[in-house]
This record gives sequence, C-alpha cells and structure tokens, in this order.
Amino acid sequence: MSEFSNALSASTAGMKAQATRLRHVSENISNVDTPGYRRKTVPFEMRHSQMSGPDLVSVGRVRLDRSDLDRIYDPSNPLADDTGHYDGSNVDLMIEIADAREAQRSYEANLKMFEQTRDMSSRLMDLLRN
Amino acid sequence: MFSNLAVFQTSSAMAAHAGERQSVIAQNIANADTPGYKARDIADFTRIMRQSGDGMVATRQGHIRGEAPDIRARESRDSEAPSDPNRNTVSLEIEMMKSVDVKRQHDRALAIYRSAMNVLRASVSRS
Repeated sequence: MSEFSNALSASTAGMKAQATRLRHVSENISNVDTPGYRRKTVPFEMRHSQMSGPDLVSVGRVRLDRSDLDRIYDPSNPLADDTGHYDGSNVDLMIEIADAREAQRSYEANLKMFEQTRDMSSRLMDLLRN
Repeated sequence: MFSNLAVFQTSSAMAAHAGERQSVIAQNIANADTPGYKARDIADFTRIMRQSGDGMVATRQGHIRGEAPDIRARESRDSEAPSDPNRNTVSLEIEMMKSVDVKRQHDRALAIYRSAMNVLRASVSRS
C-alpha cells in the first residue's frame, strides 16, 4: 500500500512542479512588452526525502535570464535614450509557448500516472468487497 | 491456511511487484524534466520468479521472510540510454508503455487471486 502512496506523492510533486513552471511561463508571456523585464526560469531539482520515501521533484529558486534585453527603436517613447532606443524585455514568445507545451505534456503524463495508480489501488480494495 | 497456498503467494507477490514498479515509474515521470536525472527501473517479475526457482516468490526481501525491505538493491539505472541535452534519460513514451504493462500485470494478479479465492470459497461452502 505504501508503494501506491509513494507513487501518488511522486506524481503530485511532479504536477505541482509543472504547474509552477507554467505559472512562470504565463508571467513571462504577459510581460512580453514590459520595458526592462527579464524572463524568469525555474530549475527542477530532485529532493531526497528524509525517510526512505520516494525522491520527489521540486522547483528551486527562480532565476532571471541574464541575456541581453531587446533594444527597441522608438524615439517617441519617454524611456528612449539619445539614440532613440529603449530596453524591451528579453522574452521570446516562441520559446515560452514551446515551454508551456512541454509543461502541459509533462503535467498530463503525471496526471495519467496518478489516475492509473488510484485505479490500481481501488481494484485492490475491490478484492475485499466480495 | 491461505498463505500456504502457492497461488495466493504468487499472485500477491505479483501485485506487490506491480505496485513497486508503478512507484518507480511515477518517480521517473515526475522527474521527466529534471536535469541530470537518470531513469530507473526494477527487474521484471518473470525474472525474479525464475531466479527464485521454487514456488516461493518474494518481490523484495522483506516481503515473505520478514527481513528489512531493500528496494534500492534491484533498482537499475540505464546509463546507456540516449539522453536529452540536459542529461535526462527519461522518455515519456517508454514510461507510459511500462506503466500500462504494470497496470495489466496488477489486474492479472488480482484476477488470479480472485479466481483462486472463488475456488476456495466454493470448496468450503456448504451448499
């Protein structure tokens, strides 16, 4: 029985991590036009549990993408400097969408495992019923 | 009395093995995007069955003989598997396939258990 609960907690940790990742991706996408915004990235880490439980996945500290900001030419913008450029964000929509897709796919895989484990354990319980 | 019947032992060991393997697969899938994670697996039930030889089957050491459970011992990491650029070797497709395998093994074990139970019940019932 504890194997099932290990499997369930591993899947739950996976879904939680993917949901956090998806949240940061949506923050990035919503800030694509914010001047000076740096895209956030979340690293995934293995967290070893104290008691011989499963190794759960968790997200580490949020990091900012240090790559160069996009220079946008718009002399009429109040933020523009002498050359008429100002700093945009370094969010690339294509990358964010791809990241969101990957997060969704992994989330679904975790959800599927969760359902399947629950199904297996309920079938086991059915043995007691009749 | 029931625990001495080999069919019950085998089927419950099979179901326990399925549960164990399901847990390993769930960990693999949860870590499908963790950099540097190596996919794990545990040995097939048939291989364990063959190794133990007689009808006495234990999926892990503590299961029947009452010793401390040692799951890690049989966990293997496939280092030869192709990895992503972040050195992760989990393939969601393969894990899905394995999990369906495990599900079927578990269902099969429970079906065998149930059927043996029915036979037993028929033999001890009065009418």
